[in-house]
Amino acid sequence: MVTLYEGAVLALLAGGVFFGVVAAVGLLRMPDLYTRAHAASKADTLGAGLSLAAAAAVLASSLPTIKAVLLLVFLFLTNPTAAHAISRAAADQGIEPWTAEDGGGGDGK
Amino acid sequence: MSTPESEPVTSEDGDTGDSDRTLYVESPIIMGTVRVVAPFVFTFGLFIMFHGADSAGGGFQGGVIVSTVILMLAVAFGVESTRDWVTPERLVAIVGVGVSVVLLLGIGTVALGGSFLEYDVVPIDHFNKYGIELFEIGIGVIVSGIVAGLFFGLAAGASGDQRNDRDADEREGLL
Repeated sequence: MVTLYEGAVLALLAGGVFFGVVAAVGLLRMPDLYTRAHAASKADTLGAGLSLAAAAAVLASSLPTIKAVLLLVFLFLTNPTAAHAISRAAADQGIEPWTAEDGGGGDGK
Repeated sequence: MSTPESEPVTSEDGDTGDSDRTLYVESPIIMGTVRVVAPFVFTFGLFIMFHGADSAGGGFQGGVIVSTVILMLAVAFGVESTRDWVTPERLVAIVGVGVSVVLLLGIGTVALGGSFLEYDVVPIDHFNKYGIELFEIGIGVIVSGIVAGLFFGLAAGASGDQRNDRDADEREGLL
């Protein structure tokens, strides 16, 4: 029998794994740097965040939980900033974003 | 690789500011995040350094994390302005301080009649612990200085290449 506490931890972990898989699929399937950064940063932030939240809930003692929560906070701060820096540097280098005219494999051609 | 980078620099659009064009792009988001995060990263590096004696961590890992602060500042506020602040002479001085701390610890115990890094011969209470921590801090200072110096060396290579490309393109444009 799964208690409510274990169920919450399992749900957090499942969400983290789901968003990690979404990030990996987006990284492999998206056509160019901007869309890949978009998929990877959004889903990766949530995936790592939910996994860390599950870890913080499992540890349930004072000091490791505080460390996990601090990790969570700084991950939420730095991960989007890193994606922003990469995309901004790419835009400054003159890399053109992918558009529908560039053609994709699966848009009904 | 070099032609698509150097073409917009020398092309006729004057808004790029071709006098001081580098790889640096000013971004308020990156600057704000670095302002918030840098002190915590520095503290975390010191934490790792001090915990090398009795848990995971140590001078090498902590030194790399501390030097990451300088890398972050360089990415956020520009390599050139950061190099004006942390000059190569200062980096050499920092590394020199670290080396002298470690050497003093090692040879000082020999001078006091013990063997290399035998802290027990120092007539201070609990110098075993202080000595280990001092040694870790010395290593951390050396590593952070070296890693920051390597980063500045790599950055100088990148900007120097670009400057040479631009000079060559300008010469072609003049001719």
